Amino acid sequence: MTNDQILSLYRTMLIIRHTEEELARCHQRGLIHGACHTYVGQEAIAAGVCSHLTKADTVFSTHRGHGHALAKGMPPRELMAELFGRATGCSRGRGGSMHLFSPEIGMMGTSGIVGPCMLQACGGGYSAKLMKSGNVAVAFFGDGAVNNGAFHEALNMASIWKLPTLFICENNQYATEVPFSYSSGSPTVAGRAAGYGLPGFEVDGNDAVEVARIAGEAVARARSGQGATLLECKTYRTRAHAEGMGDFTYRTREEVDAWKKRCPIVRLKAITPAELSGRMEAIEAEVMEMVREAREFAEKSPYPEATSATAHVYSEARAASTPESNAIRPAAPSPPREISFTQATVEALAGEMARNPTIFVMGEGIGIRGGNFRTTPGLYDLHGAERLCDTPICERGFVGLAGGAAMTGTRPVIDFMFADFILDSIGEVINQIAKMQYMSSGRLKMPVLLRGCVGIGHSAATHHSGSYHALYGQVPGLRVVMPSNAYDAKGLMLRALRCNDPVMFLEHREILTAKCHVPEHDYEIEFGKASIVREGTDVTVVALAKMVLVTQGLCDMLQRENISVELIDPRTISPLDTETILRSVAKTGRLLIVEETPAAFGLGAEIAAQIADTGFNDLDAPIKRVNGVFAPTPYAPSLEAAVVPTDLDVAQAIRELARE
Amino acid sequence: MSFEITIPRLGWSMEEGTFAGWMKKDGDAVRRGDALFELEGEKALQEIEALDDGVLRILADAPQPGAVLKVGAVIGYLVADGESLPQVQSGSEVVSHAPATAKTPLTEEAKGVATGASPSVRRLARELSVDLSHIEGTGHRARISEDDVRAASSRRGDHHAHTHTSPLTTDIIATPRARRAAKRAEINLNTLQGTGRNGRIRERDVVHAAKTHAIGSTSSSGHRVVLSGRRKVIAERLAESHRLVVPVTLTSKVDATNLVSLRAQFKTTGESLIPAIHDIIAKLVAGCLKQERRLAGRWDGDAIVLPADDEIHIGLAVDTPEGLIVPVLRNVLNESLLSLAAESSRIIRKARDGRLSGADMQDAVFTITNLGSFGIEAFTPVINLPETAILGLGAIRKQAVVTSDDRIEVRSLMTLSLTFDHRAIDGAPAAKFLQSVVAATENPAARLLMAE
Ligand SMILES: Cc1ncc(C[n+]2csc(CCOP(=O)(O)OP(=O)(O)O)c2C)c(N)n1
Ligand SMILES: [Mg+2]
Repeated sequence: MTNDQILSLYRTMLIIRHTEEELARCHQRGLIHGACHTYVGQEAIAAGVCSHLTKADTVFSTHRGHGHALAKGMPPRELMAELFGRATGCSRGRGGSMHLFSPEIGMMGTSGIVGPCMLQACGGGYSAKLMKSGNVAVAFFGDGAVNNGAFHEALNMASIWKLPTLFICENNQYATEVPFSYSSGSPTVAGRAAGYGLPGFEVDGNDAVEVARIAGEAVARARSGQGATLLECKTYRTRAHAEGMGDFTYRTREEVDAWKKRCPIVRLKAITPAELSGRMEAIEAEVMEMVREAREFAEKSPYPEATSATAHVYSEARAASTPESNAIRPAAPSPPREISFTQATVEALAGEMARNPTIFVMGEGIGIRGGNFRTTPGLYDLHGAERLCDTPICERGFVGLAGGAAMTGTRPVIDFMFADFILDSIGEVINQIAKMQYMSSGRLKMPVLLRGCVGIGHSAATHHSGSYHALYGQVPGLRVVMPSNAYDAKGLMLRALRCNDPVMFLEHREILTAKCHVPEHDYEIEFGKASIVREGTDVTVVALAKMVLVTQGLCDMLQRENISVELIDPRTISPLDTETILRSVAKTGRLLIVEETPAAFGLGAEIAAQIADTGFNDLDAPIKRVNGVFAPTPYAPSLEAAVVPTDLDVAQAIRELARE
Repeated sequence: MSFEITIPRLGWSMEEGTFAGWMKKDGDAVRRGDALFELEGEKALQEIEALDDGVLRILADAPQPGAVLKVGAVIGYLVADGESLPQVQSGSEVVSHAPATAKTPLTEEAKGVATGASPSVRRLARELSVDLSHIEGTGHRARISEDDVRAASSRRGDHHAHTHTSPLTTDIIATPRARRAAKRAEINLNTLQGTGRNGRIRERDVVHAAKTHAIGSTSSSGHRVVLSGRRKVIAERLAESHRLVVPVTLTSKVDATNLVSLRAQFKTTGESLIPAIHDIIAKLVAGCLKQERRLAGRWDGDAIVLPADDEIHIGLAVDTPEGLIVPVLRNVLNESLLSLAAESSRIIRKARDGRLSGADMQDAVFTITNLGSFGIEAFTPVINLPETAILGLGAIRKQAVVTSDDRIEVRSLMTLSLTFDHRAIDGAPAAKFLQSVVAATENPAARLLMAE
């Protein structure tokens, strides 16, 4: 190791140490608002690993992430300002200690949830591999994280896809107050690598030179296409788990003192050639000044404007490159072509994959097989295994990976087959993917398309018929789409593939083969624009997906009974086009919402509340709902039929509402 | 030093007015004479001017546009710059007026102010037998809250006389949309039969009622046009006149040839201001009233008050889109014909625009009403209390007339109809008065010149 390399490690560790100590001081004085987990004692790991990384390499980190951010090149003033909650902070005040973002330098974020960073680093690796950028992605995580499923799924995915990813476990022997020796069946983390067919190394995490050496080899392997490495860096945090917490209920003062003597900075100094002592002193003085200035900067910085609290939930709306209005049939009359819902989505996906090389699809059986629901037929032959990537059955894993991939510049399409399986990855969807644009103050884009089939029918029973769209509608940052026909499906799919927000694209299984006219050319349907499926004057019916078709089938009959139905299909739940519904109710005075799923806290409840609020004086009758019953979906045909609304139920509800 | 801003009395019998909105904002510097707020009294919408200088302080619970307020209610203050509001519970003062003042809720709707009550409040009102139409809502956009209903209910317990309850109005179950439709069509929901579930009134019931029944029908399910504030005042006054006055109407034909020719002469001057027939007659009548002052008497309890020369103010009945209204020409005896003509055209225009002030309609001792323009010859005008007489002008028509020397001549004839209150005046003086008016009308130029 050259003198310059040694001094560079020294400087990085010193920046971390002094910044952390200053933060601890500020925390004691009540200047810092939330939790603050310091990295004191572990500096050698971040410094050693990051010494090999360029700005284009990416780091994904944890709750104890200050050191990683600083080692990756974040100026202390940005970190300090963030913890002070200021507009000049690295996350513009949106994140605090556990959400540090600086994508400009490859600091892709720390996370308040233990685990996801390992999956996201797989995504960073996947992007690098797909785009052949030669970059590596690094996950830092604690010993607590290795007993989480994410560890298992991440290492396995990294192994089978040979991802250029480093897994850096900082084994400081405790997860909060729980000893690793208690919570792990095996005393070694590094040893687990073998189980995944990966190289694993145990390193003295307090020896910066040694960490740097081993990490350097791992980075070189990753860059040269030899895949991932797991490092277990044995270390110790010498401050409490978080500032202000008690420390000696689970460990002894003697133990802490013993580890303080093994301070990585002292150790590096000890092996540094004597002739460098002058330069080291200069570095120390420079760092002290830097940290002092950082605090001053943080304290003087303004708080973010309260009015900006809702900015960046979604990325800026992008105008459609081919808006729907331009997509009206071409002048030359060609026989209207009818294709099915699924064919329409395939057309959209295939076209967009041909245009945009950053798109890749992941799912079970979407490769050679072409998808359980024929969602990707023929695409594998065109684009190969990297863009049509069959996955192990690890929904959380590949959804987490999708998040990391989007953060690093590619566009994953996750094909769940059945949308029920989304629930296995729900934390990645809600806590990571949906929030990432906001937490990074709009600097990360999250173009993740999550698609899957919903809907009750054909005795699929309860694990293959869930929808949960209303649940997704409650998540800020997600777009939720639920088309009712092939025409909409194509336009909405194209929109989803071109927008920068995460989109939940839910396809009702019972209408996948339903055909309608779909233009061959390209068109986008904007989110948040309901379609008026049929105009009428007496009763407004809002229905989704299959229920649109059910209601549509009743309209003529009801018209003969002198009930004129206006049928509205919101098409997207989030954003929800209440304007169109309101306008319709202003005309009809009556509103019925038809949903296949149970009523509680559902879309119907939301629409009813909004219309009762803003359209109260338009109402000529109570708002009514038709819903499925509040029960899991049973198997036997007689039971299954009993939990979903039938066309008779809907017709009856419309008649009764007209009579109200 | 702070000054109270109160609801002024705008007319003789005004007890309450409909607050129409501030013309200044809270905190504005106000100078004496600035228009402060708009108030609708019995007869017209009027701008109320500040009487003092100061900074306007509108109370937090000040009335909303559409609120009906008692005369004298404090609605704000003018304070000196930098001075704070006096410690007055003025809000409660206004609220306490609410039950007595909410007699004309429709004026609020006429202004488009949304009022209403939620279904739960309506149910509470039904349970407590409280009539919502007598409550002024304190909620957002004057929406009635449960508290308002409870307050009304307890007030009624204390002073039962203040709140009218009518089982008819409290039992209405109507959808919000139907209520809105009923307000717009000015249909009383009381009169409707709901066809919805459990008899709930729906919009279609209102629409049906509006379509199928002629306006003004008295059948219980007919389209009822509820009276506007103005119309109610007119109705009350006429009814009172009918109840009290013993009217006798005398008619007399008059040769108006000279009158017509006098107007023609004015026209030849090329001036833009040509006195109207009623202006000339008002001037002539004033002279006659000076001679026969009893016809200019005004009732005041047991007494009749006769005007001084400079108190001979004459009302002119004017037909406006909102109904009959009587602006007043002041001091007719002393004013020149031309200035009277200018004044009458000004107040008539104001009357038609609905912008007469209270002062414009006060203190008449006699009224002139003209149905001649509708081709009416003779009629029985109704006395405008507390006056004691009124003169009706008929149409001027050319007719063949046998002259004193037995020739037949074409003359312009007009019928004058004088109604007098026989309680105050006997037939003979009334007849003498009419005779003098006839004489003056037949030779207007001489009379006018003599009056100069
Ligand atoms: C999924 C999840 N569960 C629980 C927590 C609460 N929590 C925060 S830090 C922590 C301990 C983590 O231990 P470790 O991974 O060893 O990291 P260290 O704190 O030792 O650096 C826990 C349980 C969390 N943030 N996320
Ligand atoms: Mg730990």
